[in-house]
Amino acid sequence: MNDQHDDADTLGLHFFGSMTASISHELKNALAIINENGGLLGDLAMLMEKGRPLEPERLKTLSGNIRRQVQRADDIIRRLNRFAHSAQEPAATSDVREIFEFTIALAARLATMKGVTMTIAPGPPVQFETRLFQLENLLWLCLKHLFVLTEGNQTVEFAVADAGAEVLIGLRFGEGLPVEEIGARVMREGQSLLTVFQAELQVDASLLQLKIPKKRSF
Amino acid sequence: MRVLLVDDEEELVATLAERLDMRGITTTWVTDYRAALAAVEQEEFDIALLDVRLPEMNGLDLKRLIADRRPKMKFIFLTGHGSEEDFKACSAETGREYYLIKPVQIEVLMAKLNEIAQS
Repeated sequence: MNDQHDDADTLGLHFFGSMTASISHELKNALAIINENGGLLGDLAMLMEKGRPLEPERLKTLSGNIRRQVQRADDIIRRLNRFAHSAQEPAATSDVREIFEFTIALAARLATMKGVTMTIAPGPPVQFETRLFQLENLLWLCLKHLFVLTEGNQTVEFAVADAGAEVLIGLRFGEGLPVEEIGARVMREGQSLLTVFQAELQVDASLLQLKIPKKRSF
Repeated sequence: MRVLLVDDEEELVATLAERLDMRGITTTWVTDYRAALAAVEQEEFDIALLDVRLPEMNGLDLKRLIADRRPKMKFIFLTGHGSEEDFKACSAETGREYYLIKPVQIEVLMAKLNEIAQS
């Protein structure tokens, strides 16, 4: 079991690295837009000194652009902060749907890059005791292999159901994806995480399903 | 000098284009690889400024497709990543170190554009 935990920790480091690299890229884009808007303000001020009129509306637009990007950067940093803390948190009762939402937010940029749309199926909240970071990591592994194997313009729908002693987490993919292959890759790379969760991974046509017992030792 | 700007961040690429226009550079900006390919079919450019991480097709692959259509065009890569891996990949593609990390100061970009135009 300790070996499995060590392997899961190694996987977790890879996950942490991928996510922080993606988040830093997103943050750089927000900074780059602030930089260009600030630079444009300077350019317009210089032209004004040379006698070219400057419309107040233009200033308002640029100021609004900067404020919006500062807000975006702040949201990104909040997400990074929450993600970093999730790596430190012990097991706790969590709503799986909220974990879906957070994982989707983390992977949003990479999904856009790959032309993948992610949604959550409607349904009641499902709570169970889990380590947030490890469940995020397991969901990420599924997405990662989807991103590798997709040729773009794909969909994935996250769903969760309470099945008494187990929680059923499903990822339903759009047509044309090698779901068996995604499942095989998740099984291979994520074996240690599946063991930690005592989870069973099943593939049924376009559905990748994780069966996780609610009662297990951490 | 005619420059094609390609970045999926519309606000970034539009603002950058306006600032370059003010400095006498004629620009066209697009936000995805399809529009970039369409632009090079319709217009002639001296230089393309490409974001490395574009949706669906990365900037390095896009550079190859553009270079097939317009062999005389030159390229600068723009990226949010400052990794050694990106630097090597971009340098290998351009044969020179035409690789800028966001956010870019306009003076640095102008110097690169002029350097490439004169090379």
